[in-house]
Amino acid sequence: MDGPLKELVKLEKLTDNGSGKGKSASIGTSLDSLLQSLRDVKDRLEAGTETGDTFSQLSKTVETRKKEVDERQKEIYNSLSRFGKALDKTFTSSLPSYSPLFTSESSKTELERAVAIHLLRSGQFDTTNTFLEESELEISQDLKSCFIDMHRILTALRGYDMIPALEWVMRNRPFLKSRSSPLEFYLHRSRYIRMLLSSTPANQVSVISYANAMLRPFHNEQPVEFRRLMACIAYLPEAKLRTSPYADLTSPALHEDLEPLFVKEYCASLGMSRQDPLRVVGDIGGGGALARIEKGRKVMRERKSEWSQTDELPIEIPLPPENRYHSIFACPVSKEQSTERNPPMMMPCGHVLNKDSLHKLSKPPGVGRVKCPYCPAESSLSSALRVYF
Amino acid sequence: MNLEGTLLFEQPFARVPYENYRKVFRATQRALEKELGAVQSAAAELARRPQAAQSEALAAVDGMILRVEGLKRKLADLHESAGKPTLAVLRARLEHLEHLPALSSSSNNPASSVVFEHWADTRLDRWLVDYALRTGKPRTAASLAADRHIEHLVDIELFTDVRRIEQALARGSCTEALAWCAENKSALRKIKSTLEFSLRLQEYIELARARRTTAAIAYSRKHLVPWQDTHLAEIRTASALLAFKEGTKCGPYRRLYDPARWPALVASFRRAAYSLNALPSEPLLHLALYAGLASLRLPACRAPGSSPDPVVSVPDVDTQRTGSPTPSSGSSNTQDHSHEDAMDDTEPQEPREELRSNPDCPTCDPSLSILAKEVPFSHHVNSTIVCALSGAIMDADNGPLCFPVGGAVYCREALEEMAIQNGGIVTDPRNGESCAFGELRRVFIS
Repeated sequence: MDGPLKELVKLEKLTDNGSGKGKSASIGTSLDSLLQSLRDVKDRLEAGTETGDTFSQLSKTVETRKKEVDERQKEIYNSLSRFGKALDKTFTSSLPSYSPLFTSESSKTELERAVAIHLLRSGQFDTTNTFLEESELEISQDLKSCFIDMHRILTALRGYDMIPALEWVMRNRPFLKSRSSPLEFYLHRSRYIRMLLSSTPANQVSVISYANAMLRPFHNEQPVEFRRLMACIAYLPEAKLRTSPYADLTSPALHEDLEPLFVKEYCASLGMSRQDPLRVVGDIGGGGALARIEKGRKVMRERKSEWSQTDELPIEIPLPPENRYHSIFACPVSKEQSTERNPPMMMPCGHVLNKDSLHKLSKPPGVGRVKCPYCPAESSLSSALRVYF
Repeated sequence: MNLEGTLLFEQPFARVPYENYRKVFRATQRALEKELGAVQSAAAELARRPQAAQSEALAAVDGMILRVEGLKRKLADLHESAGKPTLAVLRARLEHLEHLPALSSSSNNPASSVVFEHWADTRLDRWLVDYALRTGKPRTAASLAADRHIEHLVDIELFTDVRRIEQALARGSCTEALAWCAENKSALRKIKSTLEFSLRLQEYIELARARRTTAAIAYSRKHLVPWQDTHLAEIRTASALLAFKEGTKCGPYRRLYDPARWPALVASFRRAAYSLNALPSEPLLHLALYAGLASLRLPACRAPGSSPDPVVSVPDVDTQRTGSPTPSSGSSNTQDHSHEDAMDDTEPQEPREELRSNPDCPTCDPSLSILAKEVPFSHHVNSTIVCALSGAIMDADNGPLCFPVGGAVYCREALEEMAIQNGGIVTDPRNGESCAFGELRRVFIS
């Protein structure tokens, strides 16, 4: 971005009438001096002191000033095209033009629904209502209130008020427990640390009794953390704690990380994904996937081979581990992905191949024995076990 | 994050204000040429007639002063109302992209990932504004832009203008579109757009439709004939149109009278307007979703509770959402998957999808899964085994283990955890098969 920004600075200077930057005089200056010359001539005309060549002088002045202005404009024009070139250099490829996407009625509606839920999820309630009106879409009031409630709790949480969050946790305890969620413990932990940091030796007893009441029940699940929380008292006050082995407990992240954790648990309780699906898909698509797909398409075109739109991408788009949601088994022999008709089969030695490959490797084909391609073991075809990932 | 791939989406983001500034520059240039040209010729005129009456000369000089003052005012106006704000938009946008190169090279740094998260939030907001503007939801766009303070980063004015002209065309008025063509004449010439001719032809057709023959002939001479170098055949057909009334059965003339030409004009205007600004024909959100969904989509993806195959029983969503290992009620008991059965070449067995639908998978989202049907599947050469219990990706440190009879595979860590809590016994949550941890078989995925 440096190139375009540098050119932009030059352009800004050139077009700013107040500054005298640039090789030529600014247009404002040229016009002012032209005005001055005109007024001089006018004064002389009024005083009757004009001479024979006053007008030819004036005409020459006008020419000169016009030339100055033209030069300045040319300089601006050049600066503008240099800026354009810098942009071309930074943004080397333009977006592909696709035939219209997601045009079916169901796709349109579902995209609108996804957008509406995204807006709710990110707490933009006014925009949501406008959007719903303009799309003539209905979202159940229950779902809306769920998100309004979530943002009420989050707003409180941001202001270090943990009561609403804890109330929600109480209501959803069995659910959170089934997920082994640390949310309740972390909420109490943050509250405890805040109490501790603002405590005086006189009221520390009450803080400790808070810990005993609220944190101790988690001793079995979080034994190490619980012991640390109790032991860090020895390093009070805060200044000393900050240089102690317990310094991490004073980090603001201890509280700030509660927010995404809470959103995750809250959305899970609604049966929703932990991340905003529109964001995840958009980030993958906008973070290189489209460029790769286009590159693949170009290569295919050059080879004059086609790939069918609805079938499968011709190239693999690398995904980070957090975006792998389902198992993929690609047979190491045939390189084909397993399907219900061609499922993954494990031989007694533990190696897995797709069923078709296994059949091809067996001697006689389809009935006999298979020599594992990855180890010396040999087994009968019928001893292979269908596995489920 | 891939910088090149990210910047692919940002070309129009920088192009739109750049083109806007070029327009400001051209307007400035036109004003300068017009006014200074007039002053120039007035001064030359005076110089040629030095003997002119004093009052006449005074009036001429006054006229020149007025012109130059007017020009100064006009330029100042243009700069304040258009030039400066456009440059400010350009600056805001370039600064918005400024940190991307640094972010892409240090993606593991937590501080930069916070910055990137924020940037990506804004990007989605921008895409949503673009989507709302293109799909006829201007109030949503305005509300979102104001709410998120991203007015400099979105092109509400451009799209509003395009929409205004489209609506005029839809009403049967070419005036607005023709004015737009005049404004962008040189740029349209550069991309060899024939939009202006199509608009002129349409106005002519409307005159013919109204049987205003004389006006039509005059119009043709003035506005169609100048295109004869490139559009001679069409001009000829158009001339003959006057001999036919609306409702004619004669092919080429019936096509000219066809009211469907209007929506086609709307489309071709939109194409021209977008391409002048390097805007893609599709909303940016669509393009990003297309690529994103195609990268993620797997045959296993489906909305919870839905099944592509009527044979598949509706999965028990609650069980898998909470992840609590409750044995399912014997619909697929261990006998189904005995060795003989597994090798049987008849119909494939009922796929056990209960644990496959992953609530965290965006392509399984109830809404996005519908969109995903329009995109290709992702392509994979290598296996990735995701543990259906913990969501962890299995590798050498956390390898796959398999139940000895049913063949269900989970990661070692999740099964060890289960064994610790249940006295060494593990249970497959999918079909209830139980065995001692030691009986699990190691699986090798090559």
